Amino acid sequence: MPVTLWAATLPAVVEELLNEMAEAVRESAQIPDEHLLSLKFVFGSSAIQALDLVDRQSITLISSPSGRCIYQVLGSSGKTYICLASCHYCSCPAFAFSVLRKSDSLLCKHLLAVYLSQVMKTCQQLSVSDKQLTDILLMVKKQDV
Amino acid sequence: MAETLRRVLNAGGAAGLEAEEGAAEGGSLLLLGGPGSGKTALLFAAALEIAGEGRGPVLFLTRRPLQSLPSRSGSALDPLRLQKIRFQYPPSTQELLRFLCSAHESRGPTPALLLVDSLEDFLEEEAGTQDTAYLAALLLDTAAFFSQRAGPGRGCGLMVALQTPGDGDSDGGGGALLLSLLLRYFPARCWLQPGPCGLRVCLEPGEGIPRAEWSLVLGPDGEMSATPCATQAGDPSTGPGAQG
Repeated sequence: MPVTLWAATLPAVVEELLNEMAEAVRESAQIPDEHLLSLKFVFGSSAIQALDLVDRQSITLISSPSGRCIYQVLGSSGKTYICLASCHYCSCPAFAFSVLRKSDSLLCKHLLAVYLSQVMKTCQQLSVSDKQLTDILLMVKKQDV
Repeated sequence: MAETLRRVLNAGGAAGLEAEEGAAEGGSLLLLGGPGSGKTALLFAAALEIAGEGRGPVLFLTRRPLQSLPSRSGSALDPLRLQKIRFQYPPSTQELLRFLCSAHESRGPTPALLLVDSLEDFLEEEAGTQDTAYLAALLLDTAAFFSQRAGPGRGCGLMVALQTPGDGDSDGGGGALLLSLLLRYFPARCWLQPGPCGLRVCLEPGEGIPRAEWSLVLGPDGEMSATPCATQAGDPSTGPGAQG
């Protein structure tokens, strides 16, 4: 997964941390404790919740033959949320409130979980038809009404 | 996309100001200005510029059909270029969303540029925070998908025009929130404002790239003549961002 994905949306310090984590995973297949501590320092309790989502393999990369793809995250409450693969968007209420409206968070736990699952290469994969992908993207809209 | 606009503006000015051949460019740009400030004319000029490069068609999304085609001189209105511009008129926000969500189902040549005129037409019906963010994110996602399909070194640009509320408009609350939301998704912007002679065009390509300004005069037939202005760097009071 290209790491440049974060470039436009996250502050440089977060991008650097994620890149370092990706490198550590490539070298030793695990993430050093100090990186996890930095993660907790930057994202607070979201970091733990996001790591928990990754552990439970709650992140699915959904792709269609066209090459378009999106992420689906199964939240702790059992609801699923959609995160776009190319830019910063999650369909969960926390993203709407804390990230968009109040601007007091950089991202929600689902988006962080997506980025972490890319780093750790622990995404589930699901192939759907082009038509099905359209329906999933359109449903995001209905979901938050 | 900022580079394309720079090329358009420099070409519309004195001869000899033609910019260097830009590499195939993706990226996004938000074009902001009051009513009748020339946003559509600039979008159309960018459409002709990209159509002339032969990298692929230009998709022009707008709710209302253009009233008239600007009759610019020379090769700009070459029918071969015009043929490459495909207009789509989504009648509602829902139809625009449907178009973007199903963009990967379309067959045929991959667009080199995606344009949306009067985004405000698609925002008034439902101006919720999350709806606006999803529309902006989907526009970027669709352009990113076209870029991926076009292959390395090609890319599909995205240029979106949005009408900013006029000075006399007191309804700053909701509108200001939506604008700040869109600005997050579009780090590169171009502001159009009435200036001492014609329009003041201020291009902010994004972090780390200096701002550029032009003074632009639009003729009755849509012909453009742009003159680069010296930018007063370091004086925050001249920045359109400072005027909120």
